[in-house]
Amino acid sequence: MAILVLDMLTTSLILFVVAAGLMIILGVMKLINFAHGAFLTVGGYTAMLTTDAGVSPWLSGPLALIFGFFGGLLIERFIVRPLYDRPLDAILATWGLGIVIGQLITLGFGREVQFAASPLEGTLTLGAIDYSAYRLAVSGIALAIGAGLTALLYLTRFGLNARAVIMNETLARGLGIDSARVRAFTFGLGAGLACAAGALITPLLSVDPNMGLPWLVNSFMLVLVSGVSIPSLLLASLLLGSAQVLVSTFVSPILGGMTIVVLAAAILRINPRGLSFG
Amino acid sequence: MSRRRPLRTALIGAFVALAVIAAGPFVLDTYTTNILIRAFFLAALAMTVDVLWGYTGILTFGQSAFFGIGAYACALTFTHYGFGPGWAIGALLAGMGTAMVVAALIGWLAFYHGASPLYASIITLALPIVFVQLIFAGGRFTGSSSGLSAFPTYYWAFETWFWIAGTYLVLVATVAWIFVKSDFGRLLVAIRENEDRCAYLGIPVSGVKITLMVAAGAIGAGAGFGYSAFTNVVAPELGGFLLGTELLIWTALGGRGTLLGPIFGAIGIDVTASYLTGALPFLWTLLVGIAFIVVIVFLPEGLAPIIGRRLRAAGQALNLVGAPHVSSYSVKAINPGSHASEDVEVPLRTEGLQRHYGSLKVLDGISLEARKAEILSIVGPNGAGKTTFMRCVSDGGERSGGKVFINGAEIGRFAPHRVAKLGVGRSFQNTNLFDTLTVGECLMLARFKTDGAQKFSRRESLDLPEPALAILRATELADAMTLETRNLSHGMKRGLELAMVLATEPSVLLLDEPTAGLTKAERTAIGDVLVKLANDHRLCIVLIEHDLDFVRDISSRIVVLHQGALLMQGTVEEVINSDLVKAVYAGEDAESVK
Repeated sequence: MAILVLDMLTTSLILFVVAAGLMIILGVMKLINFAHGAFLTVGGYTAMLTTDAGVSPWLSGPLALIFGFFGGLLIERFIVRPLYDRPLDAILATWGLGIVIGQLITLGFGREVQFAASPLEGTLTLGAIDYSAYRLAVSGIALAIGAGLTALLYLTRFGLNARAVIMNETLARGLGIDSARVRAFTFGLGAGLACAAGALITPLLSVDPNMGLPWLVNSFMLVLVSGVSIPSLLLASLLLGSAQVLVSTFVSPILGGMTIVVLAAAILRINPRGLSFG
Repeated sequence: MSRRRPLRTALIGAFVALAVIAAGPFVLDTYTTNILIRAFFLAALAMTVDVLWGYTGILTFGQSAFFGIGAYACALTFTHYGFGPGWAIGALLAGMGTAMVVAALIGWLAFYHGASPLYASIITLALPIVFVQLIFAGGRFTGSSSGLSAFPTYYWAFETWFWIAGTYLVLVATVAWIFVKSDFGRLLVAIRENEDRCAYLGIPVSGVKITLMVAAGAIGAGAGFGYSAFTNVVAPELGGFLLGTELLIWTALGGRGTLLGPIFGAIGIDVTASYLTGALPFLWTLLVGIAFIVVIVFLPEGLAPIIGRRLRAAGQALNLVGAPHVSSYSVKAINPGSHASEDVEVPLRTEGLQRHYGSLKVLDGISLEARKAEILSIVGPNGAGKTTFMRCVSDGGERSGGKVFINGAEIGRFAPHRVAKLGVGRSFQNTNLFDTLTVGECLMLARFKTDGAQKFSRRESLDLPEPALAILRATELADAMTLETRNLSHGMKRGLELAMVLATEPSVLLLDEPTAGLTKAERTAIGDVLVKLANDHRLCIVLIEHDLDFVRDISSRIVVLHQGALLMQGTVEEVINSDLVKAVYAGEDAESVK
């Protein structure tokens, strides 16, 4: 029972951290980044390279963040910027980008499944039960990232500008906010977060050129259900993530794989605003 | 310009294509024949994506699921139940039937009035994921992740299969071609360009999309069935999300909204892939990915229009083809339809109409009546709730409370197209028309409610009620029937907007600032037409206007809204001379004047 609750909590928090980058981009730029899955994959390979190079696995997340951020700035400039007024086309172009990244990885590293070392091996004893130490660590890091993002949005100048752009871009521009820069920085941040999340989850799974795909679909659904707000994304992750664990445990792991997708579609049909509050 | 021209072109094209396919196996080697058979089935599927996405604007990721349903209908039947001509036909019908039921369900979920276009994409994205998981969950029955293979099937010669696949492709492509070139095809484009506007013209947009989805599902399932029967192998990937996105790539590269572009895109990419994956396994996918990005960013039309223009230019240089076909409609007047003359003295009545946004009351208990043969003007400062009032009258889903009666019938929670059927015609404040449609096509759409749209041909003449014709003449639109609306002047756009609403033969006409931005002469002309409509055709006209001179000249009665409440109503004299109204417009607090 305790293990089930911990599974639900950690799964939800992992989903949260994976979806955060997608949400930031959707919120500020009003576009859905279908390269998100590929960014996660890039993060996974960054983690693998980091550990292969003998650097501490704890550093793979920050390294992936930096790498993703600068990569994101480049991508924003050349692919995303021309598509600001064609949001559905932006989905397709970023999907194309995802294919390109996936193929480049395949060419560079091959198709086979590989593994990255975990910074924390073994289990942690909590009262009567043992639980994977790294899952708990990732959950803690996810919460920290959530808090950091909230601080970034509410306590910094960038956050103020970004929130202004989220609410009313035309007006924000009229007030002298350089919305192009806000967008560029946001895309970089979203890409960086995706890569970092990929690096974080890698020790729990394995690395292969398509590892990001299932995460992309689930993140996409979570973000649409939650709307643009960190607390509601956390809520959506908790609800749908827990549902996924419950279905996987008590019904069938295969049906668990589609729980989030089906629930999200149903929630949005009943209430198009999803779970967003505010 | 003959009505049969698109039909003739299609039939000649189909005949040539069939001849090429008949000759194909004798020219091509076995390997090419083999991969072309598969490519033909996939091309038929890509074509349905183009009709849904390219023409109608529904970005669908899920068309592969219908392909998968057809494929598994074949594999499951032949593996578990039986094999023979009867079983084959039964399996084909079962596959298509299942696909149609699933498509109807998906359509019902995804398309409702007010749904965002993204929601349809979400649903179609969920579909292949659910399909694949169900196949996984099917265990040994569905073969789980490894699929089914080596079931009994018809081991006909490659030529036979080539002819079957080719004929299927040509057949569905010809039908689709005639369909998208018909009046109904223009309706699809109109939905893509301005779905809301279609709904207010009385077009059941959701119904059209669902029907389209069902037809596309059936065609996709048929293709999947053929694919499975030929290859003798099915795997969950046939109905998966990745194939769904590949279909979009083929469609975008070929040229969305061109029908032939996606077909050639699918065949070209699939065949090249089969040749190259041996030599350059991952490079080809990489190149396709790069090409896809480049096309989406720089050439959203895809390659077909570019090649098409080259071919047409070459053809014209050699005098082989004429100028591109532009449909022109001749117009003739008809007597007003019967439903406009229903014997209701008060066509529009509201009782305690309310609209809240949270705690903000935009409309607060508006009760009013608009009678036949009168022009009722609604005036009031910005933010008084005038446009909200119109929205609540024309869309049953808008109001928070109260009742609206049109010709004596309560509108309930009707979507706009059903309210339009009751007799409401609404024009909009902004001139948002269908950019790439011509004036004639716009008017044809406006007649959809009464005359329908031809599914496999084009009308040559339009029957328009006299008032619509009067507007066309007054704004010189009658001579501009073949012009695309984006090239019209502002005055002509307003005129067309009004003519379209009148063409629906409404009994209640809601006009939101019909003369905004017009010249004095144009305003007078439209004012004259409105007065005539009220007097001669006994129309009930409700008008929002800021120009008080215009209001004074043409109104029978005036209603003043202020901060969501009905401040006063009365004759033109009463209202114009009222101190209360002067005070409101001067920005004073209404309470202090009372």
